[in-house]
Amino acid sequence: MLKIEDLRKSFGGVAATNGITLDFPQGSLSAVIGPNGAGKTTFFNLITGAFPPDAGRILLGGENIAGLSAPEIVRRGIGRAFQIASIFPSLTVRDAVLGAVNAHLHWHAKLARRFPLAEAAAQTDEVIELVNLQARANTLSGNLSHGEQKLLDIALALALDPKVLLLDEPTAGMGSEERWQMIETVYQLWQRKKMTLIFIEHDMDIVFKYAQTIRVLSYGSVLAEGNAEEVRRHPKVIEAYLGAHFETAKS
Amino acid sequence: MDFQALLDCFSSASCVVTQTTGGLISGMLLFLVAAGLSLIFGTLKVVNFMHGSLYMLGAYFAYTIYNLTGSYALAVLGAALGVGLFALIFERFFMSRVYGSDVLMQLLVCYGFILILDDAVKIIWGAEFLSMGMPAAFQRPPFMLAGGIVPAFYLFLIVITLAIALALGYLITKTRMGKIVRAAAINPTMTSALGINTALVFGGVFALGGLLAGLAGALAVPVRSLVSGMGFSILIESFIVTVIGGMGSVAGALVGALLIGLVRSFGTIGFPLFTEGLMFVFMTIVLIVKPSGLFGKEL
Amino acid sequence: MKQASVGRDIALAVGAFALLAILPLVFPNKSLADFVVRLSAFAVFATSLNLLVGYAGMVSFGHGLFYGLGAYSFALMLQKLGLSVPLAFLLTMVFSALVALVIGAICIRLKEIYFSFLTLAFQMLLHSIIIAWTAVTGGDQGLTGGLPRPPFLGIRLDDPRHLYLFCCAIMIISLFVMWHLVRSPFGYTLRMIRDNPRRTAFLGVQVWRVRLLAFVVAGVFGAIGGALMSLFVSSAYPDFAYWTVSGEAVFMILLGGMSVFLGPTAGAAILLLLNDTVTKLTEHYSLVLGIVILLFALGLRKGLLGFLVEAWSKRGAQTSAPATASRH
Repeated sequence: MLKIEDLRKSFGGVAATNGITLDFPQGSLSAVIGPNGAGKTTFFNLITGAFPPDAGRILLGGENIAGLSAPEIVRRGIGRAFQIASIFPSLTVRDAVLGAVNAHLHWHAKLARRFPLAEAAAQTDEVIELVNLQARANTLSGNLSHGEQKLLDIALALALDPKVLLLDEPTAGMGSEERWQMIETVYQLWQRKKMTLIFIEHDMDIVFKYAQTIRVLSYGSVLAEGNAEEVRRHPKVIEAYLGAHFETAKS
Repeated sequence: MDFQALLDCFSSASCVVTQTTGGLISGMLLFLVAAGLSLIFGTLKVVNFMHGSLYMLGAYFAYTIYNLTGSYALAVLGAALGVGLFALIFERFFMSRVYGSDVLMQLLVCYGFILILDDAVKIIWGAEFLSMGMPAAFQRPPFMLAGGIVPAFYLFLIVITLAIALALGYLITKTRMGKIVRAAAINPTMTSALGINTALVFGGVFALGGLLAGLAGALAVPVRSLVSGMGFSILIESFIVTVIGGMGSVAGALVGALLIGLVRSFGTIGFPLFTEGLMFVFMTIVLIVKPSGLFGKEL
Repeated sequence: MKQASVGRDIALAVGAFALLAILPLVFPNKSLADFVVRLSAFAVFATSLNLLVGYAGMVSFGHGLFYGLGAYSFALMLQKLGLSVPLAFLLTMVFSALVALVIGAICIRLKEIYFSFLTLAFQMLLHSIIIAWTAVTGGDQGLTGGLPRPPFLGIRLDDPRHLYLFCCAIMIISLFVMWHLVRSPFGYTLRMIRDNPRRTAFLGVQVWRVRLLAFVVAGVFGAIGGALMSLFVSSAYPDFAYWTVSGEAVFMILLGGMSVFLGPTAGAAILLLLNDTVTKLTEHYSLVLGIVILLFALGLRKGLLGFLVEAWSKRGAQTSAPATASRH
């Protein structure tokens, strides 16, 4: 579904992404891990067109989308949620999702039709239910709790029914219990929609439990990839990343 | 459009000299106003929409002081300091209260002040055009340069504004005060955490900007007529200058102001009906080629 | 968001028009009728600006450009080209759309305050063109000699009663169309862009295109406001394109409240009343207006209608506290 070939990007001479080649099969659930500054978010930014890569190809179902603008990429089926929930504070949850559902309409359809459209309303309800925000549907987005805002951010990405869903640290800034709830919600919606899901995560317990495959990034390159067992035993990973991380995580 | 007239002018040295000096003095006056606007924006991230009114106040203050004392030097000094003080009061008691809110509120506060000052000027000085005439010290035969006439006051004006430009550049880039101002611009919370009084810095920058505008107004009095509302066109021009030069850059303001001054000066010959339009064409080109302005950092 | 039927809105619009139509029969007062006609121009103009300021978060400070443009192009088409009223009206809309497209394409590249000032600068360009191009525009004198208003479809705009009904109808239709736009997916996209343009782009929206479209739509309705005013005064003056027109429109929006659709209309009515009252008492209207603006800007912020609506919705509200969320 999503194939990355030798992707490169540098900022002012520093290589943030240094030749990444990865393959994400259709319907797979993968985690991207790596120490801070490994280039994980840059990797997501490149895939979603926040800025163009210097070199390399990004193939979505065979089409090279590298260099397209963010809206063009989103319309081709890559949805994204952000590390810091990126939402619409003055809209209610339902209005925000409705807006997202309708975002792809052509401008003349946008002008001519009246809100909310019946078919869009059904899809909106479905998306809100996928992230368990039914009870908060009429609340202003800005008044949601941190965790709910993260869920809404995911719901916005889901509103476009993406083929590939990128989640940048869905559990960031949450307590332990809330993290597991969050990842369970993500897991459930992946099982129901079967899109290709890629998430960045720092919590290794979550990663090892949920991800089918794990890609380890370090200094903008792929250090290792494989399933939980393989990554756990990978000498380079232990050396460069896991040891130090577990030490800090425990303390 | 009259290309022939423009060509004729370019082929005559006297016309070139006259138009160039004319363009230079408008440019330098514009620079003083635009530099203040740019400085305030660079530090506070606020566009002082009533900056033109400060220029107007400077002109009227100078007019009155000159008529009372007969000393132009005193008039210029008094106008600059008076307007600087006014700007400080305006910043402390009004503008500082809307820094946190929308751009809209800032615009609105300034808009209110423009209306009040324009009417206040009408009440105090009358609605008619006033003109002060040339101060005695400058009533001497003009210099002749290649057949072109250069009034003594023009030379004085160019020299004094250039000196101010240099002093301002030095102040911003070399002194401790300049460093604080630049630091406060980049990160106000950090700067205040370091023990620097940002309120003082902001007030000071506003006062300095006001002082420059007042100075421009005072220096313009001998060559411009005074009328309520005169500040608005110079505000728009200053804004165009800062867009061309890059918001927050004093060097950019100087280059932009001189360019606009010259474009306008020669524009009146070549495109008498479209002089204003010429500035816009110019600005649009800059915006398309380099949206942050000639000397500006990326927005 | 409740599903509001189109039928109900049409009934409301027709009702409002009927009310306005009966008004002069109940109160046969010329100054009241004149007030409503002037209000029609300013209500359409201020509401069109609110599409940008309130809904899209684009603080234009040069919207008076379109007011002046609409007034002059409509008046010139009637006076110099001898066109019929409907044709001149239509062509004014097309022309202002084109101008908005060009100016918008330049202005929307800039953010926030830059956008505000660039729009203002373009307005002053139009103003100086009007002053300088005396042969066509009459310079500072404005258009002299009155506008010919040939009858069409049995409507004789020379008759004050017809003019009154015509202006009311245009106002209601314009407000109705803008109301529809605000409720359309386009209107929602505008709000999303206002709240978070980056997120909107990552939902597949070409933000600049939507902003440009909003600018053009607002420009067209702004021009309609100007055209109505030129019909009323039977001329067009450079003051229509002066920057204070934009300032007043911004103030109308804030006065009435920009979070409520009819806020700008209410603001327009209040400001016109204030204008009429103050100019009767003193010639220093600007001074008074300036003080009112300062009091308002440093005090009452949400606008009168916004304030009332909030108070109203608090009564039966089980929804959470009012939006304190920041804009960015």
